[in-house]
Amino acid sequence: MGKAVKYAVVGLGALVMLFPFAWAVITSITPGEAVLAVPPDFTPEGASLAAYAKLLETLPFWRIVLNSLWIGVASTALQLVTSAMAAYAFARLPFPGRGALFAVYLATLMMPLPVLVVPLFIEMRMLGLVDTYFALLAPTIASAFGVFLLRQAVQQVPREFDEAAVLDGAGHFRIFAYVVLPLIRPALATFAIFGFMASWNSYLWPLIIIKSPEFMTLPLGLATLHGQFTTEWDVVMAGSVVSVVPILVLYVFAEKHVIASVAQSGLK
Amino acid sequence: MNRRGWRYALTVAVFLLPSLVPLTLYTLIPMAGSLWTSLHEWDLISEMRWVGLDNYAELIGDPGTRAAFLHTLSFIAGYLPLVYVGGLGLAVLLNRPMRGRSLLRGVYFLPVITSWVVVALMWKWLLNPAGGIVNWALGLIGVSGPGWWTDPAWAMPSIIIATAWKDLGFVMIILLAGLQAIPREYQEAAMVDGATAWRRFRHITLPLLSPSTFFVIVISLINGFQVFDQVQIMTGGGPGGATQVVVSQIYDLTFRYGRAGAASALSWLLFALVLLVTIVQIRGQRRWVTYG
Amino acid sequence: MTRHRTIATAAVAVALLASACSQGSATRSATGEDGKVTLRYFTFSAAPDHLKDLETIEKAFEKENPKVDVVVETSPFDEYFTKLQTSIAGGTAPDTFELNYENFVTYADSGTLLDLGAAGAGDDTSVYSPASLDAFKHGGKQYALPASFSTVVLFYNKDLFDKAGVAPPTADWTWAEEQEAARKLTDKKNGVYGDFQPVTFFEFYKTLKQAGGEFLSADGKKAAFDSPQGLKAARWLVDKVGTTMPTEAEIGGTADYDTNLFKSGKLAMWHNGIWQFAGLKDVPFEWDVVVEPGDASKASAVFYNAVAASATTRHGKEAYAWARFLSASDVAATTRIASSWELPPVSDQQVLSGYLKDPKPANRQAVFDSLESIALPPVVKRQQEMQDVVTEQLGEAVAGRVAVEEALKTAAADVDALLS
Repeated sequence: MGKAVKYAVVGLGALVMLFPFAWAVITSITPGEAVLAVPPDFTPEGASLAAYAKLLETLPFWRIVLNSLWIGVASTALQLVTSAMAAYAFARLPFPGRGALFAVYLATLMMPLPVLVVPLFIEMRMLGLVDTYFALLAPTIASAFGVFLLRQAVQQVPREFDEAAVLDGAGHFRIFAYVVLPLIRPALATFAIFGFMASWNSYLWPLIIIKSPEFMTLPLGLATLHGQFTTEWDVVMAGSVVSVVPILVLYVFAEKHVIASVAQSGLK
Repeated sequence: MNRRGWRYALTVAVFLLPSLVPLTLYTLIPMAGSLWTSLHEWDLISEMRWVGLDNYAELIGDPGTRAAFLHTLSFIAGYLPLVYVGGLGLAVLLNRPMRGRSLLRGVYFLPVITSWVVVALMWKWLLNPAGGIVNWALGLIGVSGPGWWTDPAWAMPSIIIATAWKDLGFVMIILLAGLQAIPREYQEAAMVDGATAWRRFRHITLPLLSPSTFFVIVISLINGFQVFDQVQIMTGGGPGGATQVVVSQIYDLTFRYGRAGAASALSWLLFALVLLVTIVQIRGQRRWVTYG
Repeated sequence: MTRHRTIATAAVAVALLASACSQGSATRSATGEDGKVTLRYFTFSAAPDHLKDLETIEKAFEKENPKVDVVVETSPFDEYFTKLQTSIAGGTAPDTFELNYENFVTYADSGTLLDLGAAGAGDDTSVYSPASLDAFKHGGKQYALPASFSTVVLFYNKDLFDKAGVAPPTADWTWAEEQEAARKLTDKKNGVYGDFQPVTFFEFYKTLKQAGGEFLSADGKKAAFDSPQGLKAARWLVDKVGTTMPTEAEIGGTADYDTNLFKSGKLAMWHNGIWQFAGLKDVPFEWDVVVEPGDASKASAVFYNAVAASATTRHGKEAYAWARFLSASDVAATTRIASSWELPPVSDQQVLSGYLKDPKPANRQAVFDSLESIALPPVVKRQQEMQDVVTEQLGEAVAGRVAVEEALKTAAADVDALLS
């Protein structure tokens, strides 16, 4: 394929990908009635940041963002640790019933959330954890998605590496920490993005478990902008734009690791 | 067990418990709770009433349930090939060194992180039967465009297109991570042997990518069976119920229609189907997935 | 080895952090140290625009009742009932909460509501307008106190009427006049539409009453809308689409399309609620409202919200006092009127007259006139399903996939099944 053609295809596709996001940005700086014009007006008159100011004014915005940030970071960190360890066990530590246990892990992904939130709420109530940070975090401590993603990555690590380490007298903890973890960096980085995103965008569970405004997370805050009868769309769009930023930043950092090919770190 | 055996068991436990304990507490126990609920009639606000397997019997005989499963399956049938082939193409294109590669990857990832509210509104506009860009472009080449999301026959394809488009970046980034893990030496060795680009792709890249492919397909299927958000926002299950999927039904039954018991029963039917499909895949993987 | 240890330390640190944060949050007891009673109130109608008004009412209540501390929790309407049901299921129901008229029966039936009549026995309730008080009686018991209401009226763009040389609507208009004017005012070339009325359950039950029909049979056990009047009402709505009103495709799924259409001066007549008044303050054209045109008779939709208390609350007396204050105190009534936060359900015309002082729209009197003949939605135990099947079948008729007769027949059969 010619280089020019390749650039044309990828570039054109990129434009299509950018479109909705650009539209959200433009809507967010378009005041009042012109909002949500169809087709979108890409040269809005009287563009202003009023919607962003309103966002700061109507919501305890920084508090909400801080809540979402720390819960996102904590849940991502927890998931990375718990998933990587389980992934190692499933890929490298044979034990009876391993396949069945892995199936149980996967099975936890197959139950739709709407039916789980009610029993989980009742359980949290019994544990006295309703309306706490811990309750927000609890369902995201472990991630079967992460275990699966990282297991696949660990399985791709050539076994000769472990064997070499074993010859050096290393145990499983050392192999895990020094051999496997560095080699699955791309998968860890990828998973960090998804883990953070899942927590950052999570809506139904926080909605149900949180009562006090001081624990409110960003999606809950943005939902309060929708009234029973009317919605200020410029403010909602401003919120949507703002909510993308942290994930985008995380993505930019993580992407470097995805690129940093393991292959370059030398094989054989 | 001898001492070494115990030590090994302990090692396994240390690696597994950090995830097994929270999964049990916060997912498996609620799942058991929903199994219990499924044997009751319950509107959440009054007392539970034991009905045994009535909810299951009612659902199995209900044409609405059958339709919801069919709609969900037709979503998967359209979505999976689109998103996989598209994501693979992107990953391969953007794996090779080129100017602005990082930026382009970021741009293709943008829809993954943009909220469904924005994306759905946008696609409804693009696929608008009256004056949408897509039908306008089709008009240029002499094709009169369909009614998209206003037409029962085209509503599901509309959702499939929007979803595949949004998830391309997800598949791309997973496959990219997989591609990066393929030692460059393999490719170089094949190049020295004079293999064509297609042969290298077919015989080196694809097999070595198979663990990532396996992951993408299993996860996309699990998620595909639970398609919900975009349906809710784009069509609300319409027109005429043409896009009513299983999880929409579950949500409505639980929170809008006061039938948490029936909703739980429906979830377990869905669960059984997804589990079956996943087990078939795990069994089948030996034939085509190669691990390092 | 150091790296090994770092990972272990990190894991322990995260675990500690996680357990710490479960304690960091306030675990509130219902009765505080100074003998104060904490009363939780859960509401959908305050956020996002009237939180300050609710606070005004709350402060005034706490001043009068220094022993009670009201804690307000809000949720957007779309998720309100999801949250409320779950908290009831989990045994953490708020002491007091808001209910709308449509959902009231479901809750009253389930045994989750406190009998406020008993809790406030001996209290004089003559301040409420009798009709609104009756709306929240179930099985002879007062399970909730009406807190506010809104009505639906016909909004119209005066400038468009003047420009087209059509006489503006008056209180004695009927469907025929509305239709004729809508035809004249529709100018599709310039994107101007004559009329907008959503084709949904809520418009249908009301137009049905306007046409002289009934939604349910007298004993409430069967659907009665598959009738000549029902057909007339459904046709009235369905036939607007594509002639004097934009089609679904033209709306293109745009959120708040009708609001924006009216605000941009391209919609002549708009059937909507008085909650839109505040948003129309600054539009650059003249507009006003009238009572909705009728057919065989006039009928205007009224939406009631009420305050109920949980059967499980330990503070029945305080709950009653708060419900009473929030719904009918002078502070509440004047606060609502001053901020156009719906209307208080009081019978005192003196209080209500404050509402008429606001200059826009000029014919605010229409809001009170519309109360002379109201249409309350039919309520059944499986309310949401009933609303959904009716709206869905009307949608099928609008799309032209089934004939209007057919749609009504199917909807009636579905509703019968829900009632049995």
